[in-house]
Amino acid sequence: MSKINPLVFALGIPFVVIAVLLVVVVGRTGGKFTNLSPFSLKSYRQDWTALQGNSYRLDCKVEQQLAFLEGKGRLLVVSPIVDRDKEMDKANLGRLPVFVPADSTQSFEVGQRFKFKVRLNRDLLLVEDLERF
Amino acid sequence: MRTSLLVCLGWCALVAQGFAQAPPPGAAVSGGGGGDYRSSTAEGGADRLFDVNSDSVDMENGSMQWKGKTFNLGNSRAMRMRFERYLSAPAAGGDMLKYQQLLQRIERLLSPANINNSNYIANQQEAFNLLFQAAEFEVDGNNSLTIATQVQKIWNMRAEFRSLEVSKNQLEVIRKSQETVIVNRAEKIESANDERSSAPGKAGQPTLAKSSSGTTELGFRVKDEQRTQAEILARNAEMTALGLKAQVEFQSQMVGFLLARRYRHCIITSAFYRVLFKSGNQNIRVGAKEVKEFFPVSDFVPTLESIDTLAREAMTDVTLGMKTVDDLVKQGELYGAFERLQETYFLGEFEPSVMMYDQAKKRDMLELWRDLRELQRLGDEHDLANVEGYVNKVRGRARDFPGAAILSKVNNAINASNMAVLSAKQAALSGDTAKAEAALERATKIWPQNPAVKDFANQVVSRQDTLAQKIPEFDRMVSEAKWRDIFNKKLEFALALAQDKARSDKLRQVVNRIGELDANIQKAQVLASQNNPYLAWDVIVETSRAEPDDLVLAKTRSDIAPLVADYARTIGIAEKLEKDGGEAAALTAWLQAQDLNPASPACGAAIKRLAGSLAQGAPAKATAAAPTPPAAGASGDDVAVPPKR
Repeated sequence: MSKINPLVFALGIPFVVIAVLLVVVVGRTGGKFTNLSPFSLKSYRQDWTALQGNSYRLDCKVEQQLAFLEGKGRLLVVSPIVDRDKEMDKANLGRLPVFVPADSTQSFEVGQRFKFKVRLNRDLLLVEDLERF
Repeated sequence: MRTSLLVCLGWCALVAQGFAQAPPPGAAVSGGGGGDYRSSTAEGGADRLFDVNSDSVDMENGSMQWKGKTFNLGNSRAMRMRFERYLSAPAAGGDMLKYQQLLQRIERLLSPANINNSNYIANQQEAFNLLFQAAEFEVDGNNSLTIATQVQKIWNMRAEFRSLEVSKNQLEVIRKSQETVIVNRAEKIESANDERSSAPGKAGQPTLAKSSSGTTELGFRVKDEQRTQAEILARNAEMTALGLKAQVEFQSQMVGFLLARRYRHCIITSAFYRVLFKSGNQNIRVGAKEVKEFFPVSDFVPTLESIDTLAREAMTDVTLGMKTVDDLVKQGELYGAFERLQETYFLGEFEPSVMMYDQAKKRDMLELWRDLRELQRLGDEHDLANVEGYVNKVRGRARDFPGAAILSKVNNAINASNMAVLSAKQAALSGDTAKAEAALERATKIWPQNPAVKDFANQVVSRQDTLAQKIPEFDRMVSEAKWRDIFNKKLEFALALAQDKARSDKLRQVVNRIGELDANIQKAQVLASQNNPYLAWDVIVETSRAEPDDLVLAKTRSDIAPLVADYARTIGIAEKLEKDGGEAAALTAWLQAQDLNPASPACGAAIKRLAGSLAQGAPAKATAAAPTPPAAGASGDDVAVPPKR
């Protein structure tokens, strides 16, 4: 039996661990819509007109389905996922309505997490694309 | 209803009179036995009317019943005064005993056990002399002198009777002599006629007729004899009349003493009568009817002994009554004692046991008597408000006074009067004047001094004046939408506008509206006090939509606002955004408000409403088309204007 150099283990194991961690971290923080700015609930509340026409990335959790119209879409209430430890993000706590048009085949359950690409259609956040995570 | 109220009131008056008139006991006092002397209160009024065995004093008519017989005691005022004078007078002193002994000695001298042929005259004379001694006592009231005068009269009549007897005997002698002369003359005429008729006459001629010589004299003699006979008969009649007169006068005096409740004098008169008149004259000729009334037996024959019995029984009743009075006083039952004393006094006010009753005890009863009279006056005047105070005062003096029943009836009467006033008010409000007047009259009849009657009367009097002022004032307030002010004056307006149906209906609407508003304000205040200010705010906001100008609501809103500043601000933003056409932004604000107040029905409703609207207006496809600007909205600008902060 060939004897493996112990140095390989000493360097290889930490390398593998670091690689795995990187994959996990990058997988979580990155993904789709990373090119979009995160949606700011605070700004929306303060002056939604300034955000009109813009597209944003919204990481959120489904809270409630307010309305569903066949062939039209559904109105969901979601709560943005924020880092509660950050003082700045606390201002973004709350709930807001988003409209998912009927062309989306995604199912929604309360408590599911999504990454939304939203665009402000007048004052309504319209979901243009999405990814569950 | 009305009848029952009047009956109640009448009962109260009866009670009020009853306790001042000393209602009789439930059982008979008379009979000398141990009757129930406890008070049966005025409720026994009906019993005493129909029970001839009961005793009662009727102050109103100035009479007293004893064994079913009514004694007339004079008018009620004099009767009251006499009893009051007795209560306040000092007790009779030791002389009374001496007086009593004197009367007893007279009785003994004339009693059948002590009088006989040997001392017949002497005992009469001694008793007669003692009457003058008795008359010297003030308490005797010179009644012994009356007896003495009566006895003296009988003695004088006897002398007259004897004189008539002598005169009658003499006339009889004369008549006998005249009769002899007449017989003699008649015989002579008869013998002369016989001789003539037997003498032979001439042949063929008839015999001679009878002689008429001496007939004239005979006629005069007969006439004389007849005159004498008539005089004798006249003497007989005079003697009979004299005897009857003596009997009647004596018996009248005797019955008079009995009815005047001078029982001892009645017994002495009876004793004298028994001695002065023969056994054939012992029947009662005077007052038989009155005496029979004491003995409800159909074939009862009154005798001297009947009168004696009545007098002695009355004396026994008086003695027993006074013992009962004393016993009740010792037991602290002053009211019962007072009732018994009143009855006993009027049955035998001249009896020594009554006259010698302790002054201190009489003084206590005098105070009670005055309080009872005042209570009676209050009852007579239907002054129900003050009855309770006096009942308690009397209770303080006499713990056995039956005040609870009186107070119960008084309270019933007060309630009845107040209910009648209420009925009058309702009738007045509905415009039924006749019914209002009848109800008011009923209330006044039950309780004339009812303050509610006075208030109502004042309202009615001033109604016409206020009517002229109130209608324009009401119209002005309605035009200025001063609902709260109208509500605050609702009673005045209700009275003034009773006849005006249109305005009354308007008033009713205002009252209901403000009543509902007040209920909501109350609800909000309760929620706020229960540490639930957000729900309180919802109620306030909802109510404010209907009544934006109400000052009370505004004050409540300003009181609660500091507690829900963030919530109120958020809702304000939501409402403004919605108004400006930013439905999604408004929905976001409503959701934010709901986070503060999850149970808010207002938030829930707004969210539901906006969700539906947004879903309807949202595009079916997510296109990357250029956004359309918001609608012009209220501002009319082409460019969307953010909501003002």
